[in-house]
Amino acid sequence: MTTKNDRLIELCLTAGKLMLMYGAETYRVEDTMKRMAVAGGMRDVNSFVTTTGIFLSGMLDDDDDVMQMIRIVDRFQDLSKVTEVNHLSREFVSGSMTIQEARAELKRIEKQPMNYPLWLIYLASAVGGGAFSYLIGNSMFDMLPASIGGLVSTLALVLFQHYLQAKFFSEYLAAFFGGITALILVHSGFGTNLDQIIIGSVIPLVPGVPLTNSVRDLMAGDLISGLARGAEAALTSLSIAAGVATAVSLFIS
Amino acid sequence: MIWELIICGVATIAFAIIFNIPYQLLWMIGLIGITSWSVFSFLPVTGVGPVPAAAVAAFTSALISHWCARKKRVPVTTFTIPGIIPLVPGGRAYETMLAFVQGDYVEGLAQTAGTLLQAGAIAGGLAFALSIFSIGRGVGQRYETNR
Repeated sequence: MTTKNDRLIELCLTAGKLMLMYGAETYRVEDTMKRMAVAGGMRDVNSFVTTTGIFLSGMLDDDDDVMQMIRIVDRFQDLSKVTEVNHLSREFVSGSMTIQEARAELKRIEKQPMNYPLWLIYLASAVGGGAFSYLIGNSMFDMLPASIGGLVSTLALVLFQHYLQAKFFSEYLAAFFGGITALILVHSGFGTNLDQIIIGSVIPLVPGVPLTNSVRDLMAGDLISGLARGAEAALTSLSIAAGVATAVSLFIS
Repeated sequence: MIWELIICGVATIAFAIIFNIPYQLLWMIGLIGITSWSVFSFLPVTGVGPVPAAAVAAFTSALISHWCARKKRVPVTTFTIPGIIPLVPGGRAYETMLAFVQGDYVEGLAQTAGTLLQAGAIAGGLAFALSIFSIGRGVGQRYETNR
């Protein structure tokens, strides 16, 4: 086996895996992998990417056909890693980077922690929940309970996803706890506008990445991944709605 | 009005942090969020309904996002994902859920239609801006005219 070609294929697959895992759209993953493979000297390159797997096939310079695939299980939302891999692929294609350097850089991106620390994300969901609730309800006083609710729902989401490892169920539970917090705050006299506070509490859970990527995939002609991501976004929205509905019906009865 | 725009910018930047977007781009995202919200809240004053207003606002923000992404050489989703967050029909989705919980199915179905229409309008606005920026690079369809 020629080790250089092995390394090239591994490089392309790792780059594609990182981009798809952290929330890039299908068209971009396919295009990046294809450009990198062509720049590294492969011919007749074909890449096929769905939401859960990556296929790459091509012909090497010694007329050796290769075809490899990778299964993607986890999907996170970390767009800064997508940006970094995108930047790296541009440099690799333009020729200012060897395969070894690109591999070392990809390993660094794979290992590095999230762009923002977790406490900043908690803070951002509190601020975002409070600010978004003002846009809906126009009540300055209710921004504080809404931000408390947003903080609780994100805390619950991170906690349940870490311990339960169940995607839609943990979103359901997070929305449930956010809704319960909002209802308790309103019923104890701390806040007046119930709908504004509940919306602000659960808005940090909105599945923005699959929602937008679904539209982009469908428009780019990647119908399978577009529908798959749309289904993911719809299921997440339904679990959030069900969580809030459970909390509300507990308090109404 | 100014206060509302500032709060909208803060909300968009907070969502950009939730989606882990590089910090050099945060101020641009704040401006995109402010633009889309001001289009979305200004159009109903002139008599346009909320659904077309959402479509126009999503289109505007996606257009600016594409332009910024070209300038900064980053994936365009970095800008569009937080840019459309102020348009999400959270209030209508909540009304829908509440109507179904209270057993008022007719009202629930009406609110469902409103929510879905507004979400579809946002998607349509995004898709329209995307089509403008991908003219000449799209996929083939129906007739092979270039032979």
